[in-house]
Amino acid sequence: MSDTEGTEPASTEVQEAKAKYVGFVFDTATFTAEQDKMLAWAESVGETDPRFTDPSNPDFQAHPTFTASLVSRRVLPEDFPKIGGPRGIDGGKAVVIQQPIRPGDRLKASATIADIYEKTGRSGTMTFIVQRMSFVNQNDEPVSMVDWKMIRNP
Amino acid sequence: MLFEDVELGDELPAEHPDISMERVVEFTKAAHMNFPRFTDHEFARKEGLPGALVPGIMSQALLATMIHRWAPGCRILSLDTVFRGHVVVGTTPTISGAVTDVDDDERVVEVDLTLTAEDGRTGVMGTAKVAFSA
Repeated sequence: MSDTEGTEPASTEVQEAKAKYVGFVFDTATFTAEQDKMLAWAESVGETDPRFTDPSNPDFQAHPTFTASLVSRRVLPEDFPKIGGPRGIDGGKAVVIQQPIRPGDRLKASATIADIYEKTGRSGTMTFIVQRMSFVNQNDEPVSMVDWKMIRNP
Repeated sequence: MLFEDVELGDELPAEHPDISMERVVEFTKAAHMNFPRFTDHEFARKEGLPGALVPGIMSQALLATMIHRWAPGCRILSLDTVFRGHVVVGTTPTISGAVTDVDDDERVVEVDLTLTAEDGRTGVMGTAKVAFSA
């Protein structure tokens, strides 16, 4: 799901970090889908579809990107190297919706590094670190996947 | 909007979402993001920002809401967003969008969306895949 279009051959430190960290679970977390939070989320963004605003609707569910706010205790693996420079920017989030999340669902999340790549622009080389949170419900059914693009630049 | 009525290049009706402080505070509570840079203009300005900022994931959710209004009953399969610039709380942004792909077999439509800040700068760009029921 990560956007590596326009990337360039990775530096040695990025290649080493990819080999060591990509694909390995480095943290887990559990969350409960609370009905009041689901409602408040939908109402705060002006949602009018009763699937998201009316708990009595038989198809009531969390707004599609609800999991974008659920983060693990660790953002990166404990010994992750300081590649790409000291400045960090939130580059965006990509959410895949696999199944509706219902009130009271117990969500288990696994955090991995999905990709590491570099792009060079006018302000120098930027390093993109993509953290992936994969969510399953209490029945171990995948419900959502969130890729968080963290940008580091000099 | 029915799937049969969707055509490549169609533009979604532009929207000016409510990003008042009241709405942003409500969102940050729901999203466990109670940080003053989102809810306190003075604090944000001291950090060198133009004012309190709308969280990126709130802008993302605003894009989802717009899609639901355009195609009631649709199901968003994915929404990929890039956070490009600041969107200040209490301003009047514009969300625009256009259909960039139509898959007749899967009844899935791809939509590109942009949230433009009041000053004309791009705040958030996104691409969504949207499924229509049969």
